[in-house]
Amino acid sequence: MRGGQPLVEVVRLGLVSYQEALRLQQVYVNRHRSGPAHALLLCEHPPVYTTGIRHKPYPEPLLDQLRLLGADVARANRGGLITFHGPGQLVCYPVLNLCSFKKSVRWYVDQLEQTVIALCSRFAIRATTSPHTGVWVGDNKICAIGIHCGRYITSHGLALNCCTDLSWFDHIVPCGIEGKGVTSLSAELRRHASVEEVVPHLLHAFTQQFNCQLTEAAQDGGESLTPVTSAGTSALTNLKDN
Amino acid sequence: MAMRAALRCLSANFSLRLPQLSQVSATRLQWRSGSPRTLSTSSVLSAALKFTDKHEWVQVEGGVGIVGISNYAQEALGDVVYCGLPEVGQRLEQMDEFGALESVKAASELYSPLTGEVTEINTELAENPGLVNKDCYAKGWIIKMTIEKPEELDGLMDQAAYDKFVTSLE
Repeated sequence: MRGGQPLVEVVRLGLVSYQEALRLQQVYVNRHRSGPAHALLLCEHPPVYTTGIRHKPYPEPLLDQLRLLGADVARANRGGLITFHGPGQLVCYPVLNLCSFKKSVRWYVDQLEQTVIALCSRFAIRATTSPHTGVWVGDNKICAIGIHCGRYITSHGLALNCCTDLSWFDHIVPCGIEGKGVTSLSAELRRHASVEEVVPHLLHAFTQQFNCQLTEAAQDGGESLTPVTSAGTSALTNLKDN
Repeated sequence: MAMRAALRCLSANFSLRLPQLSQVSATRLQWRSGSPRTLSTSSVLSAALKFTDKHEWVQVEGGVGIVGISNYAQEALGDVVYCGLPEVGQRLEQMDEFGALESVKAASELYSPLTGEVTEINTELAENPGLVNKDCYAKGWIIKMTIEKPEELDGLMDQAAYDKFVTSLE
């Protein structure tokens, strides 16, 4: 490990069901049993509403209404209330062992928020934190966060709206916070911003914020990769020209 | 008794070498010998907190273990907004997950410090989960349980060892 920075493996899952992502997260959580094996799972989900450990506010009849809209419904052991995941939303599940970083859940959630704020600023969007966990642009949430931490191993993570169809959120009170809205990078930029375009920026912000190194899932012996620099710069140049 | 004699010897030595300081040291030593801490009766010991490396504490009271999380843990978590607790009667092995605390949209598991059966859960936490932060050693207690294997207590850290452990983490 160069310079003592933890090594995090980027795993690109593409479009996977929420259940499949849960199963895969568990695989990566279990890997930590034999030593640090940090991973960053990236994916998109088909439309799904999920609830956290505080699931009592969401009885079955309410969830059935959501199913009628054509979405899946799932319960998770994460913190946070009800939220939506769907195409156009970049979902990121860091499976880290906090022993290699800082053994504080509060710190970890702060770092996730700061990572997304840094990403937004690369798009010239002013995002902030608030008393409600997550990342906000004014009164609208651009990124939801809800995590689980067991024996210092993290799972679940963040969901950043890139070009999500925000009307899915009309059917719930997102994260149980009344009177606030949701937004996306596309809505804020007033142009289409795809998940593919955003990923390199997220990875870059993540390495900076967590002071770690990324590696891609081994195709040629797990060669260390420094992502984004060229891709990130060119995307930014395009933005400036707009 | 023997301790008092030893302390008197010490203070005598001090007075030989450091005449100005001897008064102060002698007073300090005498205070120490009189304080409850050095008397070490079993009743004092049984009320002492024992800690796990997962930052849970357990206090034995009337043969029952009261369980909570330490100040270090509640600070690392942030404001607790929800406590997921087990059922009364649930049997737990040492290190079994028995519940979860939620704070800042993060759900963190709780691990049983001992083997035993849950006898009581702190129902106050349903309405007032913040007690875990505000009063983690008293009103913020989480569960009470029987102690099936008292020898497990010997494997836990006492206050001094736990304080040292926490320092090593920082």
